Amino acid sequence: MLKFELKKVFSRPGSAIAMGILAVVIGVTCWFATDVYYVDPNGVKQRGPSAVAALREEQKAWAGELDSEKLRQVILANKEIKSSPEYQSEDENEREIAYSRGQGFKDIRDLLNHAFAAGFCDYDYYCADRLSGDMASQFYGRRVSLLKEWLEGEAKEQYTDKEKAFFISRYEKIKTPFYYDYMTGWTRLFDYAPTVVMITLLILGYLVSGIFSGEFSWKSDAVFFTSFHGRKRATAAKTGAGLCLVTGIYLVTMLIYTAIVLLYLGADGWACPIQILFSGWKSFYNISVWQEYLLILAGGYIGCLFTSFLCMWVSAKTRSAVIAVMIPFVLIFIPSFLENIPAPFVGKILGLLPDQLLQMGNVLGYFNIYSLGGTLMDAAPILLTVYAVLAVLLVPWTYRIYRHMEIG
Amino acid sequence: MELAVTKLTKRFQDITAVDQVSCRMTAGVYGLLGVNGAGKTTLMRMLCTLLRPTGGTITWEGEDIFAMDGRYRKILGYLPQDFGYYPDFSICDYLMYVASIKGLRPVTAKKRTGQLLELVGLSGMEKKKMKKLSGGMKRRVGIAQAMLNDPKILILDEPTAGLDPNERIRFRNLISELAEERLILLSTHIVSDVAYIASEILLMRSGRICASGTTDELIAAMPERVWSMTVEKDQTEHFMKNYKTVNIKAARDGVELRLLSGQRPTPDSREEAATLEDLFLCYFGEKAGEEDA
Ligand SMILES: Nc1ncnc2c1ncn2[C@@H]1O[C@H](COP(=O)(O)OP(=O)(O)OP(=O)(O)O)[C@@H](O)[C@H]1O
Ligand SMILES: [Mg+2]
Repeated sequence: MLKFELKKVFSRPGSAIAMGILAVVIGVTCWFATDVYYVDPNGVKQRGPSAVAALREEQKAWAGELDSEKLRQVILANKEIKSSPEYQSEDENEREIAYSRGQGFKDIRDLLNHAFAAGFCDYDYYCADRLSGDMASQFYGRRVSLLKEWLEGEAKEQYTDKEKAFFISRYEKIKTPFYYDYMTGWTRLFDYAPTVVMITLLILGYLVSGIFSGEFSWKSDAVFFTSFHGRKRATAAKTGAGLCLVTGIYLVTMLIYTAIVLLYLGADGWACPIQILFSGWKSFYNISVWQEYLLILAGGYIGCLFTSFLCMWVSAKTRSAVIAVMIPFVLIFIPSFLENIPAPFVGKILGLLPDQLLQMGNVLGYFNIYSLGGTLMDAAPILLTVYAVLAVLLVPWTYRIYRHMEIG
Repeated sequence: MELAVTKLTKRFQDITAVDQVSCRMTAGVYGLLGVNGAGKTTLMRMLCTLLRPTGGTITWEGEDIFAMDGRYRKILGYLPQDFGYYPDFSICDYLMYVASIKGLRPVTAKKRTGQLLELVGLSGMEKKKMKKLSGGMKRRVGIAQAMLNDPKILILDEPTAGLDPNERIRFRNLISELAEERLILLSTHIVSDVAYIASEILLMRSGRICASGTTDELIAAMPERVWSMTVEKDQTEHFMKNYKTVNIKAARDGVELRLLSGQRPTPDSREEAATLEDLFLCYFGEKAGEEDA
């Protein structure tokens, strides 16, 4: 039965096209994600595997604990470049040569920009240039003090005292110094992951939207519902087909994407804390890079599962694939409309909408926290649990609709 | 073996499609005869548990069919009027799929599929895609599909629509063969279909069964008699307005009419033996003058 259900899905005219689109978009995304350049000592931009190897080698030289000594070295090395004649030159090529010398520690330099910015929400690209070597020891302290400053100032009204204390304690709890390693592979992987997850979701939405409505559009409903298993096992097989599609297509897509990006750029730095990522510096989730990857993977899967099951529910309820296929679009784009409403609770709600699951990497950077029966919970575990439960609940609900379907 | 329908009613908003229908059916072929919109399909859908009745009950061997649920559907075969299929499935795939949702084991399913394709004259075409079949072939696949689980109750909604005369004869023979040990209910507008094979005919009109019985019984109980006569050409219209006219045929000395009437319409008209077609017209026909009424 399951085999035939899947056959039905792929016998729809658009299914092959949808799979084609998915393949093309993944291909293009991988191309963008792996497009890393390296400026060689002559100031010439290089691309391709040798450029990746060269960049990796330069950054590997800085790998290790990010303690005051190493930070001081970065500050000084940076200073040296900035005062070099090449950097000061008007000539484009000369400046590229200057840039090439700083490639090895540019990610660490970015962290300095974060740490020594004027305020928690500020970022100043030239900030690192103004530092002196002995300021390196303030690095980790600045991270906490900027947060405190922000919580007492700009965000004063936004959080309760308990929540503020929660954030601060998370910040203080993190193990320092951070371990730094070359990690372009992961940065790129995380940057483009939401694109991959979203396109997969849209394609999945299309594929599953016909599973339940197809019987009506094909008019095969009468035979289906008068068969022995029609209202039971055959309906379950439909849900099974949906589950297979989501699991199979999502996992294969993500695996291919991950494999291509990491094999090409390297998986170094998997054990580093996410705070050394440009996007993870402010995160109050004290996890490592591989854990973030698992969260992104799990979030995307649960997001796809929930949305696809919702599609299937709508398709069973309305008997229309057209309405069902719009569900993923609605779920993805509604939040961008809501964003414009300037009420404080809107932010809280936005943080719990299913589209967040598709971009777990961003969720880790938001200061979203929820109080559940007195204990404070961060958004990520709530999102994962709530939507996993909702997805599971949709199954018997859809089943019930089909079980009691009348054909008039 | 008894399928009993008691005061069965189905209302759609303002339309009563099936109105207080009661009947009992046992093994044999039942022909459900009625004009478009009489409620045949609606009645059959309820018998197949596709629609829940507004009122009344349907029981199989004394047990409510909706309560029996899967057990009832296990012994049911249904060919819907607008028979739908999965366009990209081959005949074989389609039948194997229906067999699987009917709960047949794959080995049995393969065997049955082969037998049935032979029976409906489609063997050798297993690999043909459903969407590439002609209308009549699809219907034959539909009949095969309904028979897969060797059902005790076989409900066929206009099974002969779209079949060519050869196929129609084949179909009648097939039904007669199948009728032993089985309850077959088929609906049609085509009188000759049921005339040959139905052991009992149910005449349905505006949601009610207005008459039922064997062909002979029904003809014997016909409220009007059949007359034939020859009239002048310009009189034809007069007769058509006032009588249900079965047939008009131009003859040498005027027009030959065959019509229904309680009394002898003209002194020189001859009474004829009634056929099922006359019966159909008697119950469902209109006088030409009533058309706009
Ligand atoms: N789902 C529905 N909603 C509303 N009205 C309906 C529905 N199904 C059928 N009807 C109405 O019920 C009446 C009986 O329809 P039904 O299809 O049972 O007739 P039928 O005897 O099968 O006609 P035909 O010979 O054309 O197939 C018609 O007036 C039809 O308009
Ligand atoms: Mg009908």
